[in-house]
Amino acid sequence: MKKSLALAILIFLFTIQFLNSYGIQRFPKPEFESGYVQPETLLPNPRAEVLAFMDIGVLIISLSVVSWLVIKKRSRNGVFWMSLFALAYFGFYREGCICAIGSIQNVTLALFDKSYAIPLSALVFFAAPLAYTAFFGRTFCAGVCPFGAIQDLVSFRPQKLGTRLNAVLGVIPYIYLGLAILYAATGTDFVICRYDPFVGIWRFNASFGMFIFGGLLLAVGIFIARPYCRFLCPYGVLLNWTSRFSRKHITITPAECIQCRLCENSCPYDAIDIPTNTRNPESKQTMGRKLIFITFLIPMLMLAGGWTGSQLHEPLAGVNAKVKLAKQILNPVTDKNQAETFEIEAFKSQGKQQAQVFAEASEVLHQFYIGGWILGGFIGLVFGGLIAGRIITRYQADYVPNKGNCFSCSRCVDYCPIKLPLETK
Amino acid sequence: MKQKIIIISAIVLLLALVAFMVKDFFFSRPDNSNPYAFDVEKIRNGDTAAIAFAETLQIKTSLEEIHGLATDANGNIYVSGKSGVEIFDSAGKTKYKVKIGGTANCISVDGNGYILLGMQDHIEVWRHDGRQVARWNSFGPDAVITSIAVQGNNVFVADAGQKVVYRYDKTEHLLNKIGLKDPATGVPGFIIPSAYFDLGIDKKGNLWVVNPGRHSFEKYDFDGKLLSSWGKASMAMEGFCGCCNPSNFAFISDSLFVTSEKAIERVKIYNADGSFRCLVAAPNQFEAGTKGLDLAVDNRNRILVLDPVKMRIRVFELK
Repeated sequence: MKKSLALAILIFLFTIQFLNSYGIQRFPKPEFESGYVQPETLLPNPRAEVLAFMDIGVLIISLSVVSWLVIKKRSRNGVFWMSLFALAYFGFYREGCICAIGSIQNVTLALFDKSYAIPLSALVFFAAPLAYTAFFGRTFCAGVCPFGAIQDLVSFRPQKLGTRLNAVLGVIPYIYLGLAILYAATGTDFVICRYDPFVGIWRFNASFGMFIFGGLLLAVGIFIARPYCRFLCPYGVLLNWTSRFSRKHITITPAECIQCRLCENSCPYDAIDIPTNTRNPESKQTMGRKLIFITFLIPMLMLAGGWTGSQLHEPLAGVNAKVKLAKQILNPVTDKNQAETFEIEAFKSQGKQQAQVFAEASEVLHQFYIGGWILGGFIGLVFGGLIAGRIITRYQADYVPNKGNCFSCSRCVDYCPIKLPLETK
Repeated sequence: MKQKIIIISAIVLLLALVAFMVKDFFFSRPDNSNPYAFDVEKIRNGDTAAIAFAETLQIKTSLEEIHGLATDANGNIYVSGKSGVEIFDSAGKTKYKVKIGGTANCISVDGNGYILLGMQDHIEVWRHDGRQVARWNSFGPDAVITSIAVQGNNVFVADAGQKVVYRYDKTEHLLNKIGLKDPATGVPGFIIPSAYFDLGIDKKGNLWVVNPGRHSFEKYDFDGKLLSSWGKASMAMEGFCGCCNPSNFAFISDSLFVTSEKAIERVKIYNADGSFRCLVAAPNQFEAGTKGLDLAVDNRNRILVLDPVKMRIRVFELK
């Protein structure tokens, strides 16, 4: 019933959105014979500064409530309703901005560009979820992030992907994070915002392409639960790392695991680590050989990745406005029928010297060269970690949530037959 | 099996979305088209079913530039332009060439065969034999003369620069000004964003002036009283659109209006009440960007269209 209602609401919203995505393309305006007068375009006033503090307050309260619901109350229902609230407030009311995911770029830009003053709200939206995660696990993902909430609503038939597939696809967010930081650090672009699949839905103004993009991602989400969170979200990488060290993470069972296996298939995100055979552990010799192999492999992969990244600095920098302009100056339009680009028109109207443009482009290219080394090295490290994760055998006795990947949604809790006295009441 | 297909399909779709992001970010070419540009291509290539005329003749001129077109009662065709006036017979054969100093933007021929030329800021009167009869005083430094019409002893002059119509007698005596904005008498004033401002006298002796910014025709009596107006701003065939249209007009069959437009280069006919009647020439019959399609109608009711890009007078006759 709950899911049917959610589906009906989503279909309704998408129908409106679909019409909007066509409507905004309509130019010139239609002519009406009925005497209808086109309304004047209204320019909204800037948002009051005090409301930014309200957003921060709502974020902190939401994080606190969800963490309490997850850790203390162990209430899936409570988390669900909080996620709906987050969808309404941070999604549709706040129109997805500022969001924790995009704030990575604000923080990066603030670190690399001294002239950029980062808004307090961006800073808090970046830091607060990480701080809460360090203590309570990814409770932000569970009930405060509107991205997670909207995907959770459509997760009707989640399928298990298996460890390997999860690991391979799980590399994508690392690459995305690396690229997002590179482009924000060089002042090139805020890639995460550019490809935010849901912001157009929150605002009812998605372009047709982005509407399809967001819609298809939700369609994937019917079968692969939270595809954006698991296989795209760059902020999820930071939360994953932080959550591994969380002091009080959600547990499936409130007491000792009785190995009943009831929770084994309860997680739609494949984030429950199943017990491994602890009776026949690997010999110390084998473990040592593996460790030596990894010790050599990871630096090699980082070096290879860094070199590859540095060699790709030109294509990577190709999207930077300064580099793009320099390229266009070097390769002017020769076809008379082809219009000059807006960039060239703007450059000509500025009266700027070509030499200055080339010098600026050259500096950006150098930044990308260094950034290419770091990005490539980082990706090499990620692949090394992936391989290491596959070949190193971990031993555990119970069914436990994977602290890195678990979204603390509390679904698994309901499957555990062991209840504390407080819970059974 | 079914589960596998679902998983594979979902993963393929997910990877396709990632591929879309990569392609869009790294490989998409910048779109330099202006999304807010007024796209008239659809209208240019639109319905041609309403065409009721066929092009029967093209007359090539020897002038360097051509700007004005007129006919006389005998069917002779007059073209004015840079440094000259060329006169053709109705078959398109050159009869006379008149050398003038400067560029004549518009032309009119009175019943006595005098050729009135609208220069930038003044009027010159010539004979077909190349003799200059008169040179009027300047209308002022802001004057841009775009149209002249003669009716009896009255000479009406359209000045786009000063947004007014002058009524003179043939001795260069100013009788009155027409069309100056006057809320008391309901005269709206002319809105003229570009130098296209035409006027004409219909067979009943009424003065009609185009108010191009309003996309309308206004009828005045000779004293400047606004009698009526018609016009509809629309991108449809029945209306006029853009900043300032129609650019030129002429009368056919007593009181039907032949109109021409720029941006969407087309020639149309309207009934006396302003209702659309038919299309004479569609946009695809002109080079894109052609402006200044001056019009005239000869004594055989042929519609003559001045095409300044092709440097020809194009003759259209009812099919």
